[in-house]
Amino acid sequence: MTILRFYQRPSSLSIAFSSRHERSFSGSSELVTLTTRRNQCWRFSPLKSSNGSPLAGASWKDDGKEMPVPKVPDIGSQLAENTVSITVVGASGDLAKKKIFPALFALYYEGYLPQHFTVFGYARSKLTDEELRHTISTTLTCRVDKRENCSDKMEQFLRRCFYHSGQYGSEVDFCELDNKLKEKEDGKLANRLFYLSIPPNIFVDVVRGASRSASSPNGWTRFIVEKPFGRDSESSSELTRCLKMYLIEEQIFRIDHYLGKELVENLSVLRFANLVFEPLWSRNYIRNVQLIFSEDFGTEGRGGYFDHYGIIRDIMQNHLLQILALFAMETPVSLDGEDIRNEKVKVLRSMRVLKLDDVVVGQYKGHTKGGKSFPAYTDDPTVPKGSLTPTFAAASLFIDNARWDGVPFLMKAGKALHRRGAEIRVQFRHVPGNLYKRKFGTDLDKATNELVIRVQPNEAIYLKINNKVPGLSMRLDSSNLNLLYSERYPREIPDAYERLLLDAIEGERRLFIRSDELDAAWAIFSPLLRELEEKKVVPELYPYGSRGPVGAHYLAAKYNVRWGDLSDSS
Amino acid sequence: MAVSFPKCPSSPLPPLQTRNRAWLSPLSAPLQVGDSSKWALLEATKRCHLCVSATNGGSAVAPVEPSKKVQDSGPKTTPTDHSTKVENGIRPTVLSSNEFQDLKTGPDNSGRESTVSITVVGASGDLAKKKIFPALFALYYEGFLPKHFTIFGYARSKMTDSELREMVSRTLNCRIDQRENCDAKMEEFLKRCFYHSGQYDSEAHFVELDKKLKQHEGSRISNRLYYLSIPPNIFLDVVKCTSLAASSENGWTRVIVEKPFGRDAESSAALTRGLKQYLHEDQIFRIDHYLGKELVENLSVLRFSNLVFEPLWSRQYIRNVQIIFSEDFGTEGRGGYFDSYGIIRDIMQNHLLQIVALFAMETRTSLEAEDIRNEKVKVLRSMKTLEIDDVVIGQYKSHTRGGVVYPGYTDDKTVPNDSLTPTFAAAALFINNARWDGVPFLMKAGKALHTKRAEIRVQFRHVPGNLYKKCFGTDLDRATNELVIRVQPDEAIYLKINNKIPGLGMRLDRSNLNLHYAARYSKEIPCAYERLLLDAIEGERRLFIRSDELDAAWALFTPLLKDLEEKRIAPELYPYGSRGPVGAHYLAAKYNVRWGDLGAEH
Repeated sequence: MTILRFYQRPSSLSIAFSSRHERSFSGSSELVTLTTRRNQCWRFSPLKSSNGSPLAGASWKDDGKEMPVPKVPDIGSQLAENTVSITVVGASGDLAKKKIFPALFALYYEGYLPQHFTVFGYARSKLTDEELRHTISTTLTCRVDKRENCSDKMEQFLRRCFYHSGQYGSEVDFCELDNKLKEKEDGKLANRLFYLSIPPNIFVDVVRGASRSASSPNGWTRFIVEKPFGRDSESSSELTRCLKMYLIEEQIFRIDHYLGKELVENLSVLRFANLVFEPLWSRNYIRNVQLIFSEDFGTEGRGGYFDHYGIIRDIMQNHLLQILALFAMETPVSLDGEDIRNEKVKVLRSMRVLKLDDVVVGQYKGHTKGGKSFPAYTDDPTVPKGSLTPTFAAASLFIDNARWDGVPFLMKAGKALHRRGAEIRVQFRHVPGNLYKRKFGTDLDKATNELVIRVQPNEAIYLKINNKVPGLSMRLDSSNLNLLYSERYPREIPDAYERLLLDAIEGERRLFIRSDELDAAWAIFSPLLRELEEKKVVPELYPYGSRGPVGAHYLAAKYNVRWGDLSDSS
Repeated sequence: MAVSFPKCPSSPLPPLQTRNRAWLSPLSAPLQVGDSSKWALLEATKRCHLCVSATNGGSAVAPVEPSKKVQDSGPKTTPTDHSTKVENGIRPTVLSSNEFQDLKTGPDNSGRESTVSITVVGASGDLAKKKIFPALFALYYEGFLPKHFTIFGYARSKMTDSELREMVSRTLNCRIDQRENCDAKMEEFLKRCFYHSGQYDSEAHFVELDKKLKQHEGSRISNRLYYLSIPPNIFLDVVKCTSLAASSENGWTRVIVEKPFGRDAESSAALTRGLKQYLHEDQIFRIDHYLGKELVENLSVLRFSNLVFEPLWSRQYIRNVQIIFSEDFGTEGRGGYFDSYGIIRDIMQNHLLQIVALFAMETRTSLEAEDIRNEKVKVLRSMKTLEIDDVVIGQYKSHTRGGVVYPGYTDDKTVPNDSLTPTFAAAALFINNARWDGVPFLMKAGKALHTKRAEIRVQFRHVPGNLYKKCFGTDLDRATNELVIRVQPDEAIYLKINNKIPGLGMRLDRSNLNLHYAARYSKEIPCAYERLLLDAIEGERRLFIRSDELDAAWALFTPLLKDLEEKRIAPELYPYGSRGPVGAHYLAAKYNVRWGDLGAEH
C-alpha cells in the first residue's frame, strides 16, 4: 500500500512555477493561489522507490520546477536546469503519428515545452533517427492562425526527436534507451514521461522495463496510458495491480482524451463560475440529462480491436461516463486535481449499477443510399461473421444521491449514424403553473428550456428559451441564446492531446483518471457487460447512416424522456 | 358553479379574428365548464375592483343562458349609460368584455354587421402624421382592421378630405417584407379616410362629426375610438364633447390619451377626475407606447414561460436592475413642451417605471389584463417614495466636436435661458417587498447622450465561494452574470456568462449567450403604436395604464419633483453627445452598483 505524506515546501521555492501558468493568469494574486494549490501536490514517497532512484531524489514527483523559469532568474539559478524527455512507446503506431507527435509539436510551437526537452520514439521496427523524423514530419502542421516560421520551428523540433529500437519486454533494450536519454539530458535534472501508445497486453511489460531500467534518477518519471483499461472490473483491477507493482499512483496518468476537449473542460467553469446555472443544477429543475456521441462512419476495415470491446466499453464506460461525472459532481473543495477526482468518484459510487433493462444495443447493417452501398458491421473482414458486438448502445443511468435522485441520465453512443457529434443536453422541467400553457399544445415538456453543450463539431453552448414571436400576435417560439465558439473565438481550439500532454508534463492530474475512479466506473458497467455476453443478447440492427435503432426511443420513453438530438427543432 | 356560455358565431369569422391570438382559439371550441366558472369569477372581481357605477352592468355576472347573453350584449343602452355600453358583454377567460363584443362584430343574431370608426383628434399634428396614420395603415395592410372601418381626422384647420388624404399619404409606407399591392392598398385605405374641421371645445362641431360618422356607419353596430393627439389642456374639452355629442349609440366608445397625464399627483388626479365625469374607466385607454415595444412585451414571456429565469428572479440572485434610456439628440428647437415637464416626467415616471413594474411584479393569476395591472399596482405601491438624495439630474451644455457645434439645452430658442429643467436624470428606486427588499433598481434617462438606446440590465450576484475567484481579479462583482434585454435599437436578449477561453491554460472570459432578433426574425417588428391601436380596438387593456396605476406612479415621483422645483436644484451640466454627468456614477456607487452600459466592454 502506498503511504504518502504531504510535505510543505519552503514558500520561496514554490514561486518557481511553470511559465504556462504565468501566461495563463495575470497579476500576482493568481500566482500565489497556484502556489498554494501546487503545494498540496509536493509529495514525498517514503516507499522504497520502485524505480530504483534514491529516496530523496525520487520523491519530488510533482513540483512545478520542471520548467525553466526565465521570469524569476534568481530562484531558477539555485536549481539545476530541468529537462523533460518524452518517450513515445509504440512510435510507429497510428495514434503516435496522428496525434501524439503533432500535439508535441504544437506545444513546442506555442512555447509550452520547457527550454530543454527530448522526444524519443521507441518501437520494435528498425528505424534511424532520420527515418523517424521523416515519418513524423509528414503529419506535423502549424495552427492556421499562426503560420509564421512554421518550417523553421518544425526543423528545430525534429532535431530534438530521436528513435530507439527495442523489444517491449526487454529490460536490456530499455537500459540502452536510458543511456541515450542520459546523454541527451546531459546532467540536467531529468524528468521523464513515457507515453504508452501500445496494445494493452504489453502495457505491463513496458512499464516494468521502463520503470526498472529507464526511470529518471533525480526527477520524476510518469507514464501515460490510454484505454482500454481492461475489459471489466476484474481485468481492470488486475491491470492496476500490475502497474502498481512498478509505479505508484502518482506516476500513472490514465488518459481519457474526452476530458481534454475544450467544452468538457468548460463544463466546470460554466457551472461554478456563473451564478445563473448552479441554482438550477439539481433534480428540482433538471428533468433529464442526455449525453450523446455519434460517429458517421463504421469500423471501415479496422474492426479487430473494436469487436473485442464494443461501443459500451469503447465510448460509454469511459468518455460519456466521465462527462457525466463532471456534470453531476458536487462542488469540489478546490480546483486541485485530487479534489475534483474525489468528487467524481463520489458521483460514480452513488450511481445505480446498470441493468440489462436499462440498455438498448444495436449493430449497423448494410444500407444502399443514392446508388451507393454502405457495408454492414459484419461485412468488415476484420469482424467475425456472427459478431454480436454492439456498435450502438443507449443506456439510462441514475445517480442515487440527494441532488440527482430520479433524474434519468441518458447516454447514447453509436457508429455509422447519420451524423457525427458529441453533445450534452440538459432538459429542464416545465414551468409550474405556466401562464402561457395554452400556447404550448398538450405536451408541456416539449416547450421546456434546454441547455446544449456541443462538444464537437462546431463547439457551442446554447440555451433554448421560449420567447414571443415579434409581431402583433402572442405566438411563442423556442429560440436559442447562443454562444458559437467559432464566432467568438476565431483561434483554433487546441487538440485534446495537447492539453493532456502538457498537463502530464506539469503534473496536473485533474483530467486523468485515478484508479479508484476507474474501479467505480467498471463497477457500474461490468455486470451488464457480462450479462450481455452470457445471454448473447442480439443487437437491434439499424441501417448504416440512419438515426440508430428505434429501441433507443422506447428506452427514453420508459423514463418519460425524448431525445433532444432527434427532434424536429434540433 | 356551472355556467354555460355563448358560443362563438359559427358564421365566417370577422376580420378581427385573423389576429393570431392564441386565446381566441378556445372560442371556436365548445367551452369547458371548469374554465367558465373561472371567468365569471374574474368578471365579478373586476367589476368590484372598478367600482362600476352602473347597476345593470352586474347582470352580466350571473349565469345566464347563452342566447340570452348575446342578446344582452347587443344594442340596448341609453347614451348616458356608458358603463353598460362598455361592460355588458361577458367574455371567455382572458378576453375582456369588450373583446367579446368585438368578436361578435360579424353579423350577430340580429344580422347586423359592426364597424369601427377611428377619429384622430388633432389630425394635423406631428404624432398623428408620423405615427398614428401610418400605424392604422399598417394594421389595415396586415388585415388586422375589421372589414368595415372609417377613419376621421378632426382638427381646427380647414381641410378637405382629399387634402387630409394627401397629407396622410406622404407618411404611409408598407412593411419592408411585404411590398406587394402596396399602392392599391394605400388607395383603398385613403378612401376610408375623412376629415372634419371643428373647434375642440364645441359640442356643435362634434354633433356634426357624429352625423358624418353615422352616415359612414350606416346601420351597422358602431364602435368608436377617439385618439386624442392634442395638448393636455384641451383633453377634457374634447372628451366632454365626444362623450356627450359623438358617442356610439349601440357599440362601444373608447378614448386613447397619451402622456402627459398631469404634472404631479394632484394634477393627474384632477385630470382623471375630469375624464371620469364623462367616461368610465373602461373607456379610457392611457397609452404608454413603451409598453407596446416588442421586447417589453416579451419580458413577461421570458419570465413566466422559462423555467431557467424565474428561480433567479429575486433578491437572492439579483444584485441590481438597471433601466437605461438614452437619446442621442437634444430638443432641437422643440423644447417648449419638454421644458415644462423635464426628463423625469417625460421618460422616467412613465416609460421606465412601467418597465420596472412589469419586471418586478409577482406572478399574476392569468394573462388577463386586469390581473397584470393589479400586480403592477402592487409593485408600484410597494416602492419607496423617491427622495432627492437618490436622484442625480443633469442638463446638456453645448459642445464642439470635429468642427461641429452642438447647442446647449438653453440655447434652444423655445427654452428659457435660465431653465433648470433636467434633460438627464438617474435615480435609485427600491421595492420594499419580500422579493426585492434591498435590490437597487437604477434608472437613467437622458437626451443628447452618446448613443440612442433603451435597455434593461439585470446584474446577478457573484457566485458564493467561487472556485475560480482567483481568475477574476479583486472585484468579484465585475465578473457576475448579466442579463441584458435591449429594447431598442437592434432588439436583442443576451446573457453574459463566464467561460473558459479556449486553449491551454485556464483564462476566463465573459461571453454572451445571444439572441439577436434581427438574425433570428427577419420580419420587421411592428411599431408600438400598431400594437396599441389594435389592442384598443380589441379592448385588450393589458398594455394601457389604469387610473390607480397612474396614481401610484405619481405618488412615487411627486414629492421629489416638488422638492427639485422648490429648492431650484441646479442640474449638473454635461456636454452634448457625452455619456452624461458623472454624478450618475456616484449615485450608482452609493448602492454598490456599476452601470452596465458604460463599462470598458462597450
